[in-house]
Amino acid sequence: MAPIMTLPRCTRFRFTAPLVVFVLAAVGLGSVLAAAPPAAPAAPAAKASAKGKTSEPRGTVPFEMLATNHMVVRTKINGKGPFDLIFDVGAPITLLTNKASLESGTIKADAPRSFLFAIRGESEVKRLEMGNMTAKDVPVIVLDHPLLKAMGEMLNRPLDGIIGYTFFARYRTTIDYQAKTMTFEAVDAPVRNLMKDLPDRLAGPRVARHRMLAPGALWGLNVGEPVDGLDSPGIPILSVLADSPAARAGLKPGDILTTLDGRWTSSIDDAYAAAVGIAPGRDTAVVVLRDGKELTVTVRPVAGL
Amino acid sequence: MNRRLSRLGLLLALAALAPAPDANRDRHVGASYQVPYRLTDTNHFLVRVRLNGKGPFNFLVDTGAPALYVATETARKVGLEPAKDTFWTPLDRLDFEGGATLTDLKARVEDPFQLVGMNALGLPGASIDGILGFTVLARFRLELDPTRDRMTWTRLDYEPRDPPVPDRRPGDGPPPELQAMNLLGPVAKFAAALMGKQPEEELHPRGFLGLELGEEAEGGIRIDRVLPETPAAKAGVQAGDQLVRLLDRDVKSVKAALGTVDEIRPGDQVPLTVRRGSETRELTLTAGEGF
Repeated sequence: MAPIMTLPRCTRFRFTAPLVVFVLAAVGLGSVLAAAPPAAPAAPAAKASAKGKTSEPRGTVPFEMLATNHMVVRTKINGKGPFDLIFDVGAPITLLTNKASLESGTIKADAPRSFLFAIRGESEVKRLEMGNMTAKDVPVIVLDHPLLKAMGEMLNRPLDGIIGYTFFARYRTTIDYQAKTMTFEAVDAPVRNLMKDLPDRLAGPRVARHRMLAPGALWGLNVGEPVDGLDSPGIPILSVLADSPAARAGLKPGDILTTLDGRWTSSIDDAYAAAVGIAPGRDTAVVVLRDGKELTVTVRPVAGL
Repeated sequence: MNRRLSRLGLLLALAALAPAPDANRDRHVGASYQVPYRLTDTNHFLVRVRLNGKGPFNFLVDTGAPALYVATETARKVGLEPAKDTFWTPLDRLDFEGGATLTDLKARVEDPFQLVGMNALGLPGASIDGILGFTVLARFRLELDPTRDRMTWTRLDYEPRDPPVPDRRPGDGPPPELQAMNLLGPVAKFAAALMGKQPEEELHPRGFLGLELGEEAEGGIRIDRVLPETPAAKAGVQAGDQLVRLLDRDVKSVKAALGTVDEIRPGDQVPLTVRRGSETRELTLTAGEGF
C-alpha cells in the first residue's frame, strides 16, 4: 500500500513537555497494573509464520492473552525478532522500546536520545511481520514507556512495544477474543499523525471549533431538549409537520424519540447528527416511546430543506 | 512467597463470589450490533453507553485496559456507590449505543491517569467518562473499519475472567512506575491551568425552511411541496414554484441547494428567488427550527 504520510526522520524532536505527558498518559494500559499478577511462565506466543515474504494486504494474526488481560502479538521487525507487542486499540500511537528499535535496525545506535524516558522520537518500521501478514512502513515512536517495563517485569518476560492507532487505522480490523485471533484487511483511509497535530493543537488558540449539523433530507420533525437529564430515554417530539415524511410514518407530537437510524437521540444535537448522514428516500428506523411503550416506525425522508 | 499466597487466597475468594453465569447470555450469543463511534482528536475510539439506564456517557474502547473503569465523577452522576470493601463495584446493566446490553458486570470506580490528564487539557475534544477494557470487549467479536462510522460487535459465547485484584498490604503503594504515572494527571491539570483547556467542539443544528424539492429543470429546482406553517409557507412560497436562487447563489441541483444552506442557523434571514409562471419573485425567509 502506498505510504500514507511522510514522517520526519527519527532525529527530529517535536516533543514539548505536555506532549511527553500526553504520550505517556494516553498509553495507559489500564491501572490494574498496580496488581502484580501471578507471574505467568513465559509461554511462547503464537509462532510467527514463515510466510510473509511478500506484503499481504490482509492476514490473520493469532494473539495471546497475558495474565494482566492484555493482548500480545509475536512479531518480527525488519526480519529480526521475535518481538512481543501489545495490541492496544486505546493507544493513539505505535511505540517501540529502544532495545527493540536497535535490535531491529529501526533506529541507529547513535540516534540522539532525550534524557526523559529515553525518547528518540519518530521513526518507521520497514517490515512488521505477524501471523501470515506483513505490514510495511509502520510509523512508530521510540520510547521506553515505564508501564511497559513495569509490566514486563511483573510478568517476567520482556514486552517490546505497543501497537496502536497508527497501525490499525490502515485496516479493517476484527478482534475475536474467543478464537484469539485478529484479522486485518487493508482499507484506504486517512491516518492522522498525532505527533504533528497535537503540538499544533496545544499551541493553538483556546477557541471552540464549530460544526454545523445539516440534515441530508427533510423529515418534518421538531424536537426539544430532554426533560429528565441523565434519566431521559430520549427527547420529546415537539411538532410533526402535516403532510411530511414523519407524519406519514405515524409520528406524533409528545412521542419521545429515543433512536434514529440506530443512534441514540439524547439531545437535539444527537437527533440532527443522526440525520446528517441520511439521504432522501432511505428507509430509516425510528424508535419512539408513546405512552411508555416502545414503538418502531420507518420514515422515508424526502429531498428538501 | 507470603505475598503470592495471599494473592492466591484473594483470587479464590473472588472466584467463589463471582455471580452465576448470566442467564440472558445465551439469548444474545451470535447477535450483531452496529455500534456508532467517534474518533477523538487524540485518536481514541469513543462509544456511548448508559450505566444502569442513565446516560449517555462517552467510554473509550481500549483493548489495552484490563477491565471496565468508571470515572468517579461518572459514578457519582449515576449514583453508583463505589464498593468500600472490595476492589470491584457491581454494575447491574451496561447498554451500548447500537443495541447491545450486558448485565451483572464488575466495574472499577477509579480515575485512570490517562483520562484525568487528557480531560484536564481538553485534548480529546469530548469528555471521556470511562474505559471499556478486556472484561467488556472480550464478550464481543469486534470489527473496526476506519472507513465506516460504526463498529460491528457480535456477541460471543465467552465469559472473560476478571483481572487479578491488586494485592496491597496496608502501607504498600502501587509500584513506583505507577506512582510516577499517577502524577501525570495532576501535571496535566497544572499545564491546563497555565495553558488553558481546549474547549469542546460546539455543534449547531442547521435552520429549517420547509421546502420539499423535486425535479431539477430549467436552471432551477421544482418545489414539490411547501409544508404548512413553516418559514417557506409564511413567506409565500408555493408548491410548483421553481427555486432558482438561494442565499444569492444559483441553485441547479438539490445537492447544490443543500450545500448552500449548510451554514444557516435558526433565525437567519434567507433570501431566495423563485419563478412562478413568467414571474420572478424575490422572497426573504426567516429560518426556523426542525429538520
